Amino acid sequence: MQVATEATDHLVCAVLAAQVAELRGRIDTGATVELLWRTTDVLSQLSGLVVELAKRCRDSDHALSKQCNTAVAAEVEISRSLESLAFEQAQRNDFTCQTVDCVVTALERLAVTDVPAGGRLSPDDLAALYVSEDQRLVHDAATHQFAIAAGRNDAESRSREGTGG
Amino acid sequence: MPAILVLDDSVTMVMSLSRILKNAGYEVETASNGKEGMAKLAGGLKPSVILTDINMPQMDGIAFIKEARKAASTRFTPIIVLTTESGGQKRDEARAAGASAWLTKPTEPNELLTALKQLLPSK
Repeated sequence: MQVATEATDHLVCAVLAAQVAELRGRIDTGATVELLWRTTDVLSQLSGLVVELAKRCRDSDHALSKQCNTAVAAEVEISRSLESLAFEQAQRNDFTCQTVDCVVTALERLAVTDVPAGGRLSPDDLAALYVSEDQRLVHDAATHQFAIAAGRNDAESRSREGTGG
Repeated sequence: MPAILVLDDSVTMVMSLSRILKNAGYEVETASNGKEGMAKLAGGLKPSVILTDINMPQMDGIAFIKEARKAASTRFTPIIVLTTESGGQKRDEARAAGASAWLTKPTEPNELLTALKQLLPSK
């Protein structure tokens, strides 16, 4: 019965690893980033046309020329913000992918059935896979919570044994 | 026009960095890991600055920096580390390997360009 349960656990880990790996492929497409770049490129082209329009109507329509110049200034500001946003998005994608890679690696190791003695994935092994301080902080918080819960369970078990329950 | 060698295993990051650097007037060469980066250097590429990630397959950023420092052509080339790692230990390792500067993702394009300007050899 124990062997069958372990085999099921390994299978669950293997399936989860595959599921998470599939998600990773979708994260790293960079579609949002590319859309932001295309938007800034189009805005830049339009801005060029507005500059030309401003030049042509400088003498004939002073108010329109002024509006064109205001629009061009706004475009520069917005494009700069979009470029920053695209770069930030790319970096966040990168961080997410690296975190996902860590989860996939851990699950793949947990899915291995013939693990030699002492070869099981330990919390320290897991920590060695991390690529950022944020991951280590989450790890510390989770292990702390786990220790508290385990301590509480032990205390409850001892209490039940003491009362003969 | 100064050339920058960018090393990152994320396709989106490589594209983002290339765009920012090209828009700022730099020539950009890219590699997806340290091994590929070393191959480009061995092939005669002489970048003014190298920008590298740490966590990459085949050869990571720290191993790449160590190798690059052994090569005569890049012994003194400024190397900026751009990584998700903010831990002191990795930073110390990178510095000991020969990194010149360290930026933690996410960073701003301006912060990156400022770091580059500070490290580019003055003409």
